[in-house]
Amino acid sequence: MIAVGDPLPGLRIESVSPEKMRQLAAVLRDPNPIHLDPAAVARLGLGDRVINQGPANLAYIINMLRAAFPASSLLQLDARFLANVFGGDAVEAGGRITFVTTETEGTRVGCETWLNVDGRGPAVTANAVLLLGGRS
Amino acid sequence: MAGEQPPQVAGTRLPGGEYRISSAENRALCEALLTEPAADGRAHEIYSYIATQSGMGVTVDGLLAICEFDAADGPMLGSSNSRFHSTLMTEVTYRVSGTILALTRKQSRKLGVMDVLEYRLTLESESGEPVLEVTNTWILPRRNLT
Repeated sequence: MIAVGDPLPGLRIESVSPEKMRQLAAVLRDPNPIHLDPAAVARLGLGDRVINQGPANLAYIINMLRAAFPASSLLQLDARFLANVFGGDAVEAGGRITFVTTETEGTRVGCETWLNVDGRGPAVTANAVLLLGGRS
Repeated sequence: MAGEQPPQVAGTRLPGGEYRISSAENRALCEALLTEPAADGRAHEIYSYIATQSGMGVTVDGLLAICEFDAADGPMLGSSNSRFHSTLMTEVTYRVSGTILALTRKQSRKLGVMDVLEYRLTLESESGEPVLEVTNTWILPRRNLT
């Protein structure tokens, strides 16, 4: 039984991997050097470590939601990108339930979610709506 | 370069195109994102962003150029709002279309003069059934105007 206010199990990544950024850049065909080369980040005055792709940060939240609700479909996802995540950062995706409604197609669950960087706060926040037991 | 008003680009239709999420690409993406691919052919939901961006028929740099903005000036993804009408699947070809909704000039205490670019991308099946709608915003700092 789920209820409004329930926390979602957190998903923690102890160290965001520059190698995974490189793999993702290849998949996304995204040659932006800020994901690959610390010197490029430094030239822009943004720090001295590579910067994780924004969609990857949002994907960690999606992974957390998939783990919390394995038999669900995502209906809505409204994300705000607030800060960068750097190579080597420790991050944790988390959330809590904001509404639960029962409809003919299944149970709709609303969640507020976030990706927090240790010591710096949220990098991404997102409101999600999922359908449990509905469409395949 | 932009003057006091941003370029009038609202209503500009993007070329659009097609996007097909291969099983192999989905698997590689899931590995990079530290998760397992679904066993039933569903694609990772982050493809809501990736498939629309990749299939919109213009690169992000090209989209920013329409707004008379140089990508080297440090654009920032501000938000991405997705509405899923059906489940994104691998090995299915989707059609992508897009429209610029607004380019709005603002004054930021942190960034100075900046423009907020808002555009909508849609994904539909080859038979025309709606699959997904995404509205993204980018923050474009107009450093030369600050």
